[in-house]
Amino acid sequence: MADKDESLKQAGADLEKAMMSAETGKGVEIAQSMLDKGLSPSQFFVEVLQPVLYEIGKRFERLEIFLPELMKAAKVAKAIQAEVLEPSLRSGKGETTSVGSVVIGTCKGDIHDIGKNMVALMLQVNGFKVYDLGTDVSAQSFIDAAREHEAKIIAMSSLLTTSMPYMGDLTKRLEGLGLRKEYRVIVGGAPVTQAYADRIGADAYGSDAVSAVQQCLSLAKSTMQS
Amino acid sequence: MRNAVRLLDVLDRMESGPIIEEEIFDMELVPSTMAALQKKYDIHIAADAAIVPEDDAFADRLFEAGLEMAETLGVFCTDTGRRMVWSRNEILDAIGLAPSELTIGEFPDAHTQVKRFPEDAARVTIKGGPVGTPSPEQLYLAIQQSYAQEPLVDLMIDGSLETVYGREGRSHSPWELLMAWHEMEMVLTAVARAGRPGLGIGCTEDSVSEIGELSVTSAERLGPHHWHHIAMVSEFKTNYALMTKVAHLIKSGSVIHSFYNTIYGGTAGGREGMAIAIVGGCILLQMAYMTTTHSVSPTHPFFGNTTTPDILRALAPAQQAISRNSHLLNDVVITPVGGPGTKTLLYEVAAQSITSVSSGAAGLIGPRSAAGTQPGHVSGLEARFMAEVAHAARGMSRREANRLVTEIVGRYQEELDKRPIGQRFDEVYDVVRVQPSQAWIDTYEAVKDELGQMGMTFDSPSAHAAVGGDLVGSEIEGGS
Repeated sequence: MADKDESLKQAGADLEKAMMSAETGKGVEIAQSMLDKGLSPSQFFVEVLQPVLYEIGKRFERLEIFLPELMKAAKVAKAIQAEVLEPSLRSGKGETTSVGSVVIGTCKGDIHDIGKNMVALMLQVNGFKVYDLGTDVSAQSFIDAAREHEAKIIAMSSLLTTSMPYMGDLTKRLEGLGLRKEYRVIVGGAPVTQAYADRIGADAYGSDAVSAVQQCLSLAKSTMQS
Repeated sequence: MRNAVRLLDVLDRMESGPIIEEEIFDMELVPSTMAALQKKYDIHIAADAAIVPEDDAFADRLFEAGLEMAETLGVFCTDTGRRMVWSRNEILDAIGLAPSELTIGEFPDAHTQVKRFPEDAARVTIKGGPVGTPSPEQLYLAIQQSYAQEPLVDLMIDGSLETVYGREGRSHSPWELLMAWHEMEMVLTAVARAGRPGLGIGCTEDSVSEIGELSVTSAERLGPHHWHHIAMVSEFKTNYALMTKVAHLIKSGSVIHSFYNTIYGGTAGGREGMAIAIVGGCILLQMAYMTTTHSVSPTHPFFGNTTTPDILRALAPAQQAISRNSHLLNDVVITPVGGPGTKTLLYEVAAQSITSVSSGAAGLIGPRSAAGTQPGHVSGLEARFMAEVAHAARGMSRREANRLVTEIVGRYQEELDKRPIGQRFDEVYDVVRVQPSQAWIDTYEAVKDELGQMGMTFDSPSAHAAVGGDLVGSEIEGGS
């Protein structure tokens, strides 16, 4: 038992190092070797990858590292998912290593994307599959993408008061189409407040990138329970 | 230099520059360029470095890094998927021909803004206003008047409207046009009520797309002598809508004020990347928008403010780099976390004003109180305070500025994550008389007293009155 704990700890430390230096090959190698030693994909995800990604996210939250480092970590995590975990799962017992899928974008009328990009990366490093629709995205485009990718969470960002009304369009449109119960909607961005999120009937509000991830984790849990 | 020939050249580059995917530009080209330039030019800013440094050699290296950044990246146009790029010589020619002095507004309220150097005694231009902060429609006129009537406000800048005729405003729709007209009608009334009908107005804040700007910028409405805004999207991006504004403003002979808000911890990175991005971003504003004045508002990713110590550590050397190595008319936007009625707001404004003025900023804009996100949490009194501190910091050595700023930062740093948004305009002002409440005045006086005890000397109102635009020309001679 102690040997196993030590081995997981060491793998985590090596993986964090590989992620911070964007060594994709090294990250894939570590993941593969842990699976070869008998760890299941979901065990690797929960016991090694997730704690490392959580720590990296915390470091970004404290601004000890920045978006470029977060991008490096996300790149390695993506490669591990695509090259090691998913192939192994396809031949396995139907386990999953994804926390959930999120469709994200800056809503119509707004072209600011740095805040949205930060949230997208933070979601990725926390185990979500993220479909980034970019900027100036209409309510219908969010719905179409969520359907296409079978994402249960729609995340919308706005930096402008004059683009915020387009956030309300999404919740109204989901209601109008009879789809409101199928999706969880989270909103955020500098001028957006909890009160505004409540007013338009959003399910959650992220005051910054860190809280957006926490909220999405809660939403993902609620979609699994419903 | 700004003319129709250069406009065509810029637009041609927008249609013919190197093709790149936006994601590659954002996620690979920008971060890798920043990292390479930090290394090449030895750009390091320690976490405990002086907030206002006095290392001229470092400032000059930073300018070279920013220049190379501008040359390497250019500006990405999201509509054409191309980078607009310029050679080093083209950049040097263009910034060399940019104006170093500019008169904005109309007689008898016109104001001449001038280039300043670090530690310069020359007058700093005060551009007071809420900088796009949304305001309830019923308070908008009184809020704008509260800035226009402040004698130390040389130029005014608009807030934006929370609603238009009680309806939700929407960008890129007929509602945007109505908002722009409503803004124009009210700010022109505000300056008239303040007895300053020729005051230069920073506009149009309710024009996210080109619709609002095109509808209200004309000789009969918001004329070319006002300062018209165009944003560069972070990091280093533009689009057809923004370039349409540029074309219209150049064809109408208008003053162009462009701005760029790099994000701390974003694709440019931390302190060092932010410092390079500020310098390079200002150069690119000149190249893409042929701007007459421009501003930076380096922004915290979580608080939305510009006053954290890390940001000030990036801003100060970047400002010094620009003002030592060019004559660009560069302003700094002050965005505190604190809102009206709080000491935090005043401390933040004082720290960033002293940092910017001692580092050579030509103008200060704002304050955009409560991070510009809380409707109506703005008032003219904080612009008066910003102006008084700025004038007290003219001619101050960077060493003295650093001593003061370090002490002031200590008084608000721990408050930032509490987000003290303060009170709405109608809670800190009598909205009929358009005068600050006694409580707000008392807080303002108390903080001025604290700054006085730290060693700041404030001018009397009559001293300000004696410093007109004419004096500035002689003052700038000794500025370097």
